[in-house]
Amino acid sequence: MTRTSDTIIEIRDIKKSFPGVKALKGVSFDVARGSVHCIVGENGAGKSTFIKILTGAQPASSGEIRLNGEPFAPYHVSDAIAQGISCLYQELNIVEDLSVEQNLSLGQEKHKFLFPKRADNLDKARSILANFDESIKLSDKVSNLSVAQKQIVEITRALVTDCSVLVMDEPTAALSLGETTKIMRVIERLRDSGMTIIYISHKLSEIFEIGDSVTVLRDGEMVATQPLKGMTQTDLVRLMLGKVVAEQYIPSTGARDETVLEVRDVSTRKLRDINFDLKKGEILGFYGLLGAGKTEVAEVLFGHDCRGEIRKDGNIINMKSERDALRSGFALVPEERREEGIFGLLGIAKNVPLMNMKTVMKNGLVSGKAERDLADKYIDMLQIAASNRNHPVALLSGGNQQKVVIAKCLNRDSDIILMDEPTRGVDIGAKQEIHNIIRDLANKGKSVVVFSSELQEITGLCDRIVLMYDGKVRETIENGENIDTDYILDVVAGKEA
Amino acid sequence: MKYLMHYLQTDMQKVILMGILAALMIGLSIASPNFLSITNFTNVLLKVAIIVIIASAANLLMITGNFDLSVGAVLAFSGILHAYMSKHGVPVELSILITLIVAMAWGGVNALTVSVLGINPVIATVGTLFIARGFAFLIARWDGGANIMMGLPRDFVDFGRDPVFGLVPLAIVVMVAAVAIFIFIEKRTALGRKAYAIGANLKSAKLSGINTVGIVALLYVLVGLFAGLSGVLQTSRVGLASPTVGKGLEFDVIVAIILGGTSMLGGVGSTFGMVLGALVVGFTANGMVLLGIPFYYQTIAYGVILIGTLLLSQKFGTRAKA
Repeated sequence: MTRTSDTIIEIRDIKKSFPGVKALKGVSFDVARGSVHCIVGENGAGKSTFIKILTGAQPASSGEIRLNGEPFAPYHVSDAIAQGISCLYQELNIVEDLSVEQNLSLGQEKHKFLFPKRADNLDKARSILANFDESIKLSDKVSNLSVAQKQIVEITRALVTDCSVLVMDEPTAALSLGETTKIMRVIERLRDSGMTIIYISHKLSEIFEIGDSVTVLRDGEMVATQPLKGMTQTDLVRLMLGKVVAEQYIPSTGARDETVLEVRDVSTRKLRDINFDLKKGEILGFYGLLGAGKTEVAEVLFGHDCRGEIRKDGNIINMKSERDALRSGFALVPEERREEGIFGLLGIAKNVPLMNMKTVMKNGLVSGKAERDLADKYIDMLQIAASNRNHPVALLSGGNQQKVVIAKCLNRDSDIILMDEPTRGVDIGAKQEIHNIIRDLANKGKSVVVFSSELQEITGLCDRIVLMYDGKVRETIENGENIDTDYILDVVAGKEA
Repeated sequence: MKYLMHYLQTDMQKVILMGILAALMIGLSIASPNFLSITNFTNVLLKVAIIVIIASAANLLMITGNFDLSVGAVLAFSGILHAYMSKHGVPVELSILITLIVAMAWGGVNALTVSVLGINPVIATVGTLFIARGFAFLIARWDGGANIMMGLPRDFVDFGRDPVFGLVPLAIVVMVAAVAIFIFIEKRTALGRKAYAIGANLKSAKLSGINTVGIVALLYVLVGLFAGLSGVLQTSRVGLASPTVGKGLEFDVIVAIILGGTSMLGGVGSTFGMVLGALVVGFTANGMVLLGIPFYYQTIAYGVILIGTLLLSQKFGTRAKA
């Protein structure tokens, strides 16, 4: 690659390792001046690490970045900003209780005889703001603005400090559709004025709407950097996910003809008109890219607020909390096992009964023997490798922790078991075991709903697959021998049928 | 590995406490001829009893990751209320009953602010502290003085002074009962198990269908009840109700609990450890009095113990959540 005059950033063989993990294994690409350069990749691909290095939040382990042809190695975020690279993080970095003006001059206040002095660049800020959204006034309190407007204030703040490169990390994650369009227009205007934008998003439609070129990261490696023109969304998804090796699908043995759950026209802020059925003894999979709405569907089934109708065994149910959901016969294996699943300080024996204390109570009291027996039953059934049932669960490996969460959930004996990313961060062996446990459950007449961002898991496990894209159910397909993964990728990438 | 260390050390903490307690006993027996006497031990235990009764409930509350700074004020208020009602013709038994119900209502205020509305427990319970303390002064004022002392009926003080079976003061019996009840709750009830779960991981507890709000609220009400009971016991024994008693008691309670190995962040702790903590604090204070150490040194020593235990707890706490 030779440097041409319109290359603003050159990235050469950037590597970053943390103890035990190689987060980036040599990333190289160029960013053209005045373009919108997108970076995509699934969870753990190395996007965040890369952004941190580029914006000075973390140093690279090795490699070189050149900005305008000069070596660029920021030691600190302020260093990067001084050299013209500003970043808008996913979480808004803005003080709610201050006015727009105060936010714009935050950290750059000037004083005259100990009294705050009016910032000199306010006129500039005002004209930038007016350019984007005339309804925002400098005196407005930020907490009264919409999320998109807050983002515009943040962008403005970056612009007043004369940045030439703006890094945007999922700016639209918290936005509604209308607000997203607004930000898209802002980005277009910035690009037309000569600004270079590095844009990270999970929403492929946005990338194709405003992006000029794209860099795909996968497992810390750069898979491709190429212009978006001529690419399809499916091409991009294929690059992001790599080769999909299908696991052998073993159908559930039950009849699967009795409907236990009907979901009709369910909508929330991020979901639109979700419809599906769940049969007794079936494993139903939800597949879609990050941000397609899988987690939101799981939340709705576990007591989150929604519009629409949910029927269980033919009766409309109205759930207002997790406890309502449990009472209605749902149980959830949550996505974040450490934060939402285990009780790390407590032993296996105390973790397992917590969803259903009745199983260890005798005459209204907790029975130590019942507790030990229950723990032993699940340790044996799920093959949990633990030296001691009072061993704090936090000390177990990820796979064993996940089995404890599953044990806790099974002990509830619910009809419908929701599993959000049941094997994330679990080694291959434990993964197979967990899959077998899930198949076993279905064969015993339970209904299991699996939410996964791993296509291999979905096609190997599920009897039917609901494909989601952008908060909507695109299609529900039957799994079988000639399941077409290419077709699935087309659908979840948003390609119109 | 950190967790293992943590576990070892919390149990280690009990062993260390027992060691300190033994050393205090032996040292003080040698240093002061008055130490090993029934009178002295009864005195220490009566002081410790008030702390332990409240701390029994407050310990389980802290295991959920919450705490109550209003206990001293609720104790003072309950003493005054009980004395006022008894003096103005309410039968002592009825007066005790009403006082305990009102004390639970104070706990209910904390339950509402902290558990239901989610206000920070430091702010919310200090608010209750001031309100309860203020009402204690107000009731004393209704009676016409700063304290309520004169004109209390005979059976008012009899309740507090008659030893049970002619042997043990009532407060000590109540202390033993309170400890027994909470050890039982801790080991054998769903409430105890769920309290630990809430402190270990609030989010997991919610997703497991545990009524986190209800359990924390219930524990605040129980702490109020035991603070009220302590207030009744104390005024009855002393024969005097003062709105200024129990200042700083909330810290005695917290020091006993933390010294006993309960994490301020919740999830870890035991009633037994708390009792050891309270005894260490009680005998240290007693020893300093017996050895004639001036009160300002005692105050300084108390401050050092408080910060020391908090540092200890901080260390364990961060370990626990690492």
